[in-house]
Amino acid sequence: MKEMEGVLYQTNAPTGVDPDNIYFVQVDPNKCEACGTCEEVCGTGAIQSINDEGIHAVVNPAACMNCGQCLVNCPYGAIYEGVSYVDQIFEKLKDPNTVVVSMPAPAVRYGLGECFGYPTGTYVGGKMHAALKKLGFDLIYDNEWTADVTIMEEGTELVQRVKEQGKPKARPLPQFTSCCPGWVKFVETFYPDLIPNLSSCKSPIGMLGPLAKTYGSHESHVPAKKMYTVSIMPCIAKKYEGMRPELADSGYHDIDATIDTRELAYMIKKAGIDFKSLPDVKPDRELGESTGGATIFGCSGGVMEAALRLGYEVLSGEKLKDPYIKAVRASSGVKAASVPIPNFGEIQVCVVSGLANTIPILEQVRQGNSPYAFIEVMTCPGGCVNGGGQPLDPDLRASLFKNVMARVNRRYRMRQTV
Amino acid sequence: MRNIIKMTRRGFIRAAGLACGYAVLSVNMTKEAMAAALAFVEQRQKHVYDADRNNKLYEYKKSQDNPMITALYDKQDGFLHEGPCGHMSHRLLHTDYIDRSARVKALKAKGYKLAL
Repeated sequence: MKEMEGVLYQTNAPTGVDPDNIYFVQVDPNKCEACGTCEEVCGTGAIQSINDEGIHAVVNPAACMNCGQCLVNCPYGAIYEGVSYVDQIFEKLKDPNTVVVSMPAPAVRYGLGECFGYPTGTYVGGKMHAALKKLGFDLIYDNEWTADVTIMEEGTELVQRVKEQGKPKARPLPQFTSCCPGWVKFVETFYPDLIPNLSSCKSPIGMLGPLAKTYGSHESHVPAKKMYTVSIMPCIAKKYEGMRPELADSGYHDIDATIDTRELAYMIKKAGIDFKSLPDVKPDRELGESTGGATIFGCSGGVMEAALRLGYEVLSGEKLKDPYIKAVRASSGVKAASVPIPNFGEIQVCVVSGLANTIPILEQVRQGNSPYAFIEVMTCPGGCVNGGGQPLDPDLRASLFKNVMARVNRRYRMRQTV
Repeated sequence: MRNIIKMTRRGFIRAAGLACGYAVLSVNMTKEAMAAALAFVEQRQKHVYDADRNNKLYEYKKSQDNPMITALYDKQDGFLHEGPCGHMSHRLLHTDYIDRSARVKALKAKGYKLAL
């Protein structure tokens, strides 16, 4: 076990293992105080009391979506992560024959700074890329670039689905987003009959892995077999996604390792890098340049807004003058909106975060009376910025008073969203 | 009195914490602490939307305006020259999903109670 930013990690880096059999989060029974916070924040009930004393545990990995909301909400630090590639990445960074590729997600740059004394949410994108370079990453790619690619693919898919309604073999509406690995596993596990509604698009990191080893290999003149791709995420469930055996379309396994924001902060500190004094560095342009539409992927409603910035122009044939579509922004819970598009009409959309909140919406879809064309779902309340791999809310484990207040507030917020 | 005895451990901690908080600090400070915790996620979100508005950080706002996206899908010599959802896109960027319900059904058959 290794402690990183207040969270314990098992330091194994599994390869060739079926991720369905891995406990990505688990409870240390010696530290569990039986408070039940984890059970309250769990959307599936995978984490539950296992004995008369109320000690909790994840009962089976099949029921766990690996989101880690239990971990970031545990006031006693009793929940640890089961997988960490940090040691393996340090080895690969030292190996002169391996070209290590960095692929950080949008939300990482709004959480990482907190580990180095910046106020909550401070944008540290430039310093993050500089730190990755300093750590020895050879190719500085950016998952925000593939967030833009995702919009092109998923937005086009949505327009296709809208236009093919009524025709034979039409793919169903509403279309669900497929960026969030907890949500994708949730549909596969609890709503397999709605799999046809899931966008066939991989998530942004699911796209950057294979693009790095094909397009990136071509652009950088580095053979794909020498590449070691590192997915850097605000998320624990992305470790599960990275290990999915089907993600091997480049001819190699597309994603070689996945770490979260806390682990990146640990690596930067371990390497003795003075983060605050770093310059702002841009990623490699071809697989790195990104837009505002990409960076908002980290918020609940962000994918929806970015997709509408494309969908509006495709469906109406007109330029969207004001790209800021605030009607779909959601700090938590469920938000439905009707967005007027000229020459087309109103498009009904819905944004959901928190898995428990999806159930009534999905039942509507099952019964065939969902009013929506497009539904965005994020497992973590508020989206990836509040992901299970992000730095902890310092109030949660601070003083007894602050701790209790933070917990009361978090639960209050959860209840409000149901 | 019965209600207090029946109070769960969790409920007690919540009530005691609140009582201590109000006793030690003034009501206003307690409210501030509550607002701060509530705002934790919103603060991160605010920085995201600020960055989106910041033209120095993000010159372009729409994915389709990103020059590196235009280059990727360029009809002449783009890597994905067939455009979004073309053949190469489908090979590399799209996927199929797997019905994983069997193991959860088996768990329920064993008597585990899940939330759904």
